[in-house]
Amino acid sequence: MDMEFTEEQKALQNAARSFLATESPLSAAREMEANEEGFSRDLWAKMADLGWLGLPHSSDAGGSEMGNVELVILAKELGRQLCPSPYIPSVILAGLTIAGAGSDEQRARLLPQIINGELIIAFALQEENTYYDARSVRATATKEGDAYVLNGTKMFVESAAAADKVLVVARISSEPPDTAGLAMFLVDPNDVHVTLEPLDTMARDRQYQMKLDGVLVQPEDVIDTPASAWDTLEGVIERGVIALCGYMVGASQRIHDMATDFAKERVQFDRPIGSFQAIQHYLALSITEIIAADTTVFYAAWTLDEREPSREIVAKAKAFAGDTFRKATDLGAQIHGGIGYDESMDTTLFLRRGKQLQLSMGGSGFWEDIIAEELLDR
Amino acid sequence: MNFRFSDKEEAFRKEVADFIAENMTDTIRSKWLGGLLDTEERQQFVTKMSERGWLSMGFPEEYGGTGESMPLAQYILNDELHKAQAPIVGKNLGVVVNTLLHHGSEKLKKEFIPRILKNEIQWALAYTEPDAGSDLAAMKMSAVLDGDEYVLNGQKRFITSAHFADYMWTGVRTDPDAPKHKGISLLIIDVPTPGMSLSPMNTVIGEQTNDVFFDNVRVPKDRLVGQENEGWRYITEALTYERFAMTSFAPTIRKFKRLVQWVKDTELDGRPLKDDPVVRRKIAKLAVIVEAGRMIDLRCVCEAVRPDYVPVNEAAMNKMWGGIAETVLTDEALDIMGPYGYLWHNGGHAPMDGDMVDDYLWAGHQRVAAAGVDISKNIIARRYLGLPAS
Repeated sequence: MDMEFTEEQKALQNAARSFLATESPLSAAREMEANEEGFSRDLWAKMADLGWLGLPHSSDAGGSEMGNVELVILAKELGRQLCPSPYIPSVILAGLTIAGAGSDEQRARLLPQIINGELIIAFALQEENTYYDARSVRATATKEGDAYVLNGTKMFVESAAAADKVLVVARISSEPPDTAGLAMFLVDPNDVHVTLEPLDTMARDRQYQMKLDGVLVQPEDVIDTPASAWDTLEGVIERGVIALCGYMVGASQRIHDMATDFAKERVQFDRPIGSFQAIQHYLALSITEIIAADTTVFYAAWTLDEREPSREIVAKAKAFAGDTFRKATDLGAQIHGGIGYDESMDTTLFLRRGKQLQLSMGGSGFWEDIIAEELLDR
Repeated sequence: MNFRFSDKEEAFRKEVADFIAENMTDTIRSKWLGGLLDTEERQQFVTKMSERGWLSMGFPEEYGGTGESMPLAQYILNDELHKAQAPIVGKNLGVVVNTLLHHGSEKLKKEFIPRILKNEIQWALAYTEPDAGSDLAAMKMSAVLDGDEYVLNGQKRFITSAHFADYMWTGVRTDPDAPKHKGISLLIIDVPTPGMSLSPMNTVIGEQTNDVFFDNVRVPKDRLVGQENEGWRYITEALTYERFAMTSFAPTIRKFKRLVQWVKDTELDGRPLKDDPVVRRKIAKLAVIVEAGRMIDLRCVCEAVRPDYVPVNEAAMNKMWGGIAETVLTDEALDIMGPYGYLWHNGGHAPMDGDMVDDYLWAGHQRVAAAGVDISKNIIARRYLGLPAS
């Protein structure tokens, strides 16, 4: 039982923290809200140079084969600066799907480009009026010769317009909620049979509704087979979720730091507001939740690294980190008083992401249902 | 980073669990908080543990300890004892032995530590007074030096072990003119000593605690622990050990698991309770709160075994979360039981034998005892976050 980082892990944390403080401060997160692609290509290239895009990937593909604990360490630092990037869809969800289920040819063709940052792949799972759940996928893939034709509508596809490809989950056979019959397909977002409609999100990031109307996918772009696609997806989604959890914990710590610093300086009734117990008790409870969420997320990451059963702990980590982040961002603005809700204040960057990320990749209720399945139905 | 206990630690855990399985009886098992060694049978249970060397683990050999030991051994022992509702050893070892080792005179160390490690003597902690609760440093009970003896006058309240303890570990005021934190000393008092009297108080769940009155009680000067007027420092340091050693998260985990099993086994209106979507969400939310508590507990353990580190903040977080988690767990559990939620022990209709009713009533104790939720928040705000004094 030991919660200390190794020297290598500390080095990763320190390097990421100082790099992002200069290269991607909170002001950059605000600028990117107005950027057409929602993230900085320049920063993405630098992240590739630092080896971050290869962090979870194998060394044959050019990665550094680090574990999920390291992934969380990096994600926390990205979260501290609310750094926007297609890291989770491209590097983790699409990248690890290709790494785990792609053919040798697909891995050799795609992974080095993902890792060097030249190829960005978005991830399309969720659909209209469904949860973040592969069981609910209705989009169809119909065989036509050696190729497949895709039809359906995907929702909440992050960075779809900026991406070079979109990894689409669709059904070759069977009906929802059957877990058999799924497969993944690489689609060009600029295909004439694809329509992207931007969604107006609270965090002002780039998400799209993606309509697939008879999109032809050649055999070399079909990833995985129905025999294993469900297992692939489950494993990959857990790792993406854990990265999102790390991001939320890092961001929670940042807004809590900001609120605590403000409470020490802001004087009302002739004294710093941080001397009032009302303020102190809010902040004390919140930091305890954040530290507990931090430990829970690392425990989930460690469980994944140890290849132990992870579904229940990942579900707990997502529900808890999401709720904690939402509360921390809500409190962060409140502690600042009226000015905390001024659009130009950094508190609002957090406020608008707190609720959105809590609801992303399955909201707390979705993951709570999974916890209940694990506890009550087994 | 490693969340696994070592093979050696797991082997010790199993040894303790086996011992408990072999020696536990219904009359030893405590319904509420584990801990009190108030009967002959419970004391014998702990004496058997001391014979195995489990009370002396890690303490210096010159005082009857085993010397070097696994850093987590004490935690594992208490965790298993808590889980089984067995008498715990946290108070005597965590508070008295640790404080004597760090601050006591050689004479006191030699006189008391070996006997504690053999479970020959029991202790009552006596700090609280009617007008000194959360504001513990406001304690007024006076100790005036008269020759080689202190003369004590005043009252202590909520002294839970006073009716069976051999010694009282007592905070007294030795300098009434100094600022309140600077005039407190720590004394060891024989129970009984002439002039001392007890009046029982009964708590809402029927457990006894006591008022203790002191009328010119004379205590030898060499029973002073550490320096005169430095007592507040020792008390707060020991409160950290107490928050940590006496408040394991294991009981909350045990209660939650029991609730889950009960939900799986129960039908309501002809339907399995576990299929009710509202119940499912409640169970899931509780699972998250309980997991978070387990994580804070483990984090505290990892910090506590660092050499010369007193985990003030971690212990406060642990204590706070324990109080919150017990409250939410027991409230939601009674909600899930519906009308049966308020049935108590007698009559046989109560779910879980009415234990959850005790737990609900007792959750309040967890929110107030040994620096409760609000005082813990004060500690975290001031010491961890560095917020200014209120």
